[in-house]
Amino acid sequence: MTQYLDKAPIAGRRSRKPARPAAVKVVEVLIVGAGFAGLGSAIQLRRAGINDIAIVERGTEVGGTWRDNQYPGAACDIPSNLYSFSFAQNPGWTRGYSGSREILAYIKGLARDHDLLPLIRFQHNVEALHFDGGEGVWTVTLTGREPIKARSVVMAQGPLSNAGFPSIRGIETFQGKKIHSARWDHAYDFSGKRVAVIGTGASAVQIIPELVKVADKVKVFQRTPGWVLPRLDFQSPEWVMALFAKLPVSQTAVREAMYWIHESMALGMIWNTPMTRALEILGTRFREAQVKDAWLRRQLTPDFRIGCKRVLMTNDYYPALQKANCELISWPIANISEKGIRSVEGLEHQVDCIVFATGFEVSKNGTPFPVHGLGGRDLNAEWSGGAQAYKSVQVSGYPNLYFTFGPNSGPGHNSALVYMESQIDYIVRSIGKLAAGKLKYVDVRADAQKAYNVDIQKRLAKTNWNSGCKSWYLSADGFNSTMFPGFATQFARQMAEFRERDYRLV
Amino acid sequence: MQLDTVKMLAKIKNTQWALADIDWEAPGAELVTGDPELYAKLKVFMADLMWIEHVGARAFAAMARKAPDDTLAEIYRYFHAEEQRHANVEMALMKRWGMLEGDADNPILPEPNINLRLVIDWLDTYSDEMPLEVLGSVIPSLEIALDGALCKFLLDTVKDPVCHAAFEKINEDEARHLGIGFHVLEVMGHGKLHQLLVKAAGNLLNPKLIIGIAAYLPLLNRMRDNLVKLGLKEERLYEAMNKYKRIGGRTEQGRRNPWFQIISHQSAMVVDRKSLYHVPVDALVRLTDYYPRRWLKATPTWVKGLTWKTAA
Repeated sequence: MTQYLDKAPIAGRRSRKPARPAAVKVVEVLIVGAGFAGLGSAIQLRRAGINDIAIVERGTEVGGTWRDNQYPGAACDIPSNLYSFSFAQNPGWTRGYSGSREILAYIKGLARDHDLLPLIRFQHNVEALHFDGGEGVWTVTLTGREPIKARSVVMAQGPLSNAGFPSIRGIETFQGKKIHSARWDHAYDFSGKRVAVIGTGASAVQIIPELVKVADKVKVFQRTPGWVLPRLDFQSPEWVMALFAKLPVSQTAVREAMYWIHESMALGMIWNTPMTRALEILGTRFREAQVKDAWLRRQLTPDFRIGCKRVLMTNDYYPALQKANCELISWPIANISEKGIRSVEGLEHQVDCIVFATGFEVSKNGTPFPVHGLGGRDLNAEWSGGAQAYKSVQVSGYPNLYFTFGPNSGPGHNSALVYMESQIDYIVRSIGKLAAGKLKYVDVRADAQKAYNVDIQKRLAKTNWNSGCKSWYLSADGFNSTMFPGFATQFARQMAEFRERDYRLV
Repeated sequence: MQLDTVKMLAKIKNTQWALADIDWEAPGAELVTGDPELYAKLKVFMADLMWIEHVGARAFAAMARKAPDDTLAEIYRYFHAEEQRHANVEMALMKRWGMLEGDADNPILPEPNINLRLVIDWLDTYSDEMPLEVLGSVIPSLEIALDGALCKFLLDTVKDPVCHAAFEKINEDEARHLGIGFHVLEVMGHGKLHQLLVKAAGNLLNPKLIIGIAAYLPLLNRMRDNLVKLGLKEERLYEAMNKYKRIGGRTEQGRRNPWFQIISHQSAMVVDRKSLYHVPVDALVRLTDYYPRRWLKATPTWVKGLTWKTAA
């Protein structure tokens, strides 16, 4: 069995005394990423009186996934009143479901209004994290910059931050334009162009209706059709915005109502219940109402249980597919050629541009950069069989390291920000304990982490996510380290309790 | 021996080809167009062949929904597209030989005969509801007739090198289809015999299947008659059906599949001219000639996917 030293390496200890320059400042909390999670953590840490914070951000502005996802039609599939922080409500949402620009403006507002910009070090790309058990300090290695030392590190780099082209045979030979949905090229003019869209997931169903408006021809390459439900989107009336501004409690009440409506959806989305069937009937009726041709409807009919993959909330995807300049191609892709996409039925679909709406490289089996904990243990290696953490926020052997959107914290039915707030509160409490107790570190016990994960996996086995479909929620071998098998309320309750007995306080 | 479907899927993905891989302008078309007798025969044969491939494609689409695992479902998804590719190739050959009516750049799809139309209607309406046992046992018999009799007949008759180049590729695909077809036929023979029999009997009583059989049997007889008229020796069909019986029945599981037994016996009757089977079936063929066209459903849009083009 591997023994991990609870001390710094000898060389480090020897050199520590004479070499320890007083000038090397150890930041109390370093946050990786300036998206929703990073900024939210900073706001709440400050509210708890923890002010020595640094945020490292690899980009040049705040916003995370909403800064990156600026493709035409980009919007959130959760109502804005719920997809925002309860401690920073925005009375000015212009729509029920806001677009990415408005969400990005909200995030920028968070940074501005809470005076977070001075904390952020832009263009700081983290390469690795190393923990020194002797000092109880993390060293954060950065690309082309001096490393930063920090007592605690909050990983808020986001689960959906690495976009990549899929590995399709011949992709490198294509002579036209290639665009990834998460790295949109706003300079490219789609007017009069022949465009292929690969993928029919959450991003694609938003992009396609916009492309159909401007492009000459849009060919949509579908592998697996998803469940589509109507989205009750609307323009917020002026009087509602005014009411929310004057009477914040009214917005809180609306948010609460939306929260409980979404919570009730868990009954159908997460577990297989009569409500699952009811949601499937709703999806089927919606498809029948919007798609008149029987064969097209068949092509768009999912062959898995609703909830197993992310449900697509859109009113304009099906109508867009039926426009004269749009075509759904459900043949498998054989390869990409110089001029376009060859599908297995033998045709070469020649296009000027391919839009890859193929999602992200979600870190299910690893970390985005090397993370070395006590005694040099490697988190990437430990997670190679599937990521596991304690209550999604901490991993045994990696003290003072906190995850937002860590393993098994994903919701399928409610706002991710509701889950995030619970995690942030937990992190603030844990970091507060460290400071108050003058502790070197807090490290979750391995047995507590194991017991937690045994229970989580047992509960996951009964969910729709593990009912047989392939999705980004699951690793290649079917391990679910992404989703939380329960209500948001259950998650919040679990995060509200800090069980000291589950920790080693050093 | 059990076939490794994962390896087969990888092989399928690694051996893809497109219509653009064939030089459709290469010389040799005159070997068909210069022979009026052959030309006339071939025009009918190619249209039938194209429709059979297309109908087969739709059956694979239905099977993809019923596959017991993801790998087999993906294989059927590929087979669906590959059969469509074969139909497209046959349409492209017809285009090359000037057999398509209408505008040269926008030719008209040849009209399927009434029996094909009835099978298309049935497939469109009911095939997705059929159990895998039924389609999974019928498809290998059709594939083997296609591969062992129809394609061989075509290549013996036509000397155009482009046709040979195209069918070399088609035959490689069909060999894989047959491999999977017989594998599934055997898998369907696993389980307790009495349960298999009860299940098969239950399926046979399904009115939707009965309608399908009523559409399928006259199609087979009409095709046989058409082929014989074109000069195909009946022995070729007989050999193909024997091959189905031999390969499908090589293992105990294959033989235990009640649908294999039903189709083997039915195939034997199809190729036996003296069998009483032909009395009602030939009557059905004649009867379908009088089937009111207005009773047919509108042509499903999956049919409109057929094309002779290499690029779109």
